[in-house]
Amino acid sequence: MICKGVVENIMGYIDAELDYETLEELEKHLAECPECKSFVLTYKRMLELTGKLRERTFVTPEIRAKLKDLLRSKIDR
Amino acid sequence: MCVNALEIGIVESRFLRKLIGYSYESPSRERNLSNLPDEGLIESYISEKDNSAFEEIFNRYIDRVYGLALRITRDPDQSEEVLQEVFLTLIKKVEGFRGEAKFSSWLYRVTMNASLMRLRSEKKYESDISLDEYVPYDEKGTLMGKIRSKDWSSRPDIVIYSKESMKIIEDAVNELPESFRVVFHLRDIEGLSNEESSRILDISVPAVKSRLHRARLFLRDKLSDYFSEWSKLK
Repeated sequence: MICKGVVENIMGYIDAELDYETLEELEKHLAECPECKSFVLTYKRMLELTGKLRERTFVTPEIRAKLKDLLRSKIDR
Repeated sequence: MCVNALEIGIVESRFLRKLIGYSYESPSRERNLSNLPDEGLIESYISEKDNSAFEEIFNRYIDRVYGLALRITRDPDQSEEVLQEVFLTLIKKVEGFRGEAKFSSWLYRVTMNASLMRLRSEKKYESDISLDEYVPYDEKGTLMGKIRSKDWSSRPDIVIYSKESMKIIEDAVNELPESFRVVFHLRDIEGLSNEESSRILDISVPAVKSRLHRARLFLRDKLSDYFSEWSKLK
């Protein structure tokens, strides 16, 4: 497994989609190559960090209230 | 026999209501709505004139619709306009919704189209970064450039999750070209599957994976830049 292989297989590795042989080869390589190991660790950290963006709520109470009023005026049921 | 998603939703909804003792007059109705799938709520809104079912849909999706609009337009005012447009479209077209697509996919697609229309009509600054050829290794397969940066993964969480680094990552995501930005948002922020993202964007699953892969590599590089600078300052 060369470094290019690590970059190319990183998504499959994270999503647990690699076949057994590729996974074994990749993990063996990671155990021997500190640069590739760093790459995988920082890639995972990046995903943890971007996952936090999900927790940010953008809609303010004002926008919410305005939209509710608008919809209420349209839903005349 | 063709059984569409709405029909499944109706059956599922009725089954669920029977299962959980739901009735229209039940005082516990609002509590139970959160258990219903989107399609069941839509059915309830259409057939029973149940406005609380619509409210549940509203609460489920208001942040997601606004978040996607903001990710695409990067403009709070335009995102608010998109939000209004999407929910008005929902009210207008809900009766004709026949479950040809999963409800959430349909809503994301309407949101995306309304956002892109604004983005393109404004001719607003769009990233000129090209990620089409973003391959961080040379022809021999050796990792190149920033990808080799020092390992910052063991930085303490207080640094990794600081307000400043969240701002860095937010800005970096917004720097992605639109076609990569939207894929990244749907997959890694909204947490949708490759398949659902592919349906919303009307591109193949391999195309979703390819854009996501390049977007992630770009973002990892941006963070490596930031944390390398941070190390020099400390």
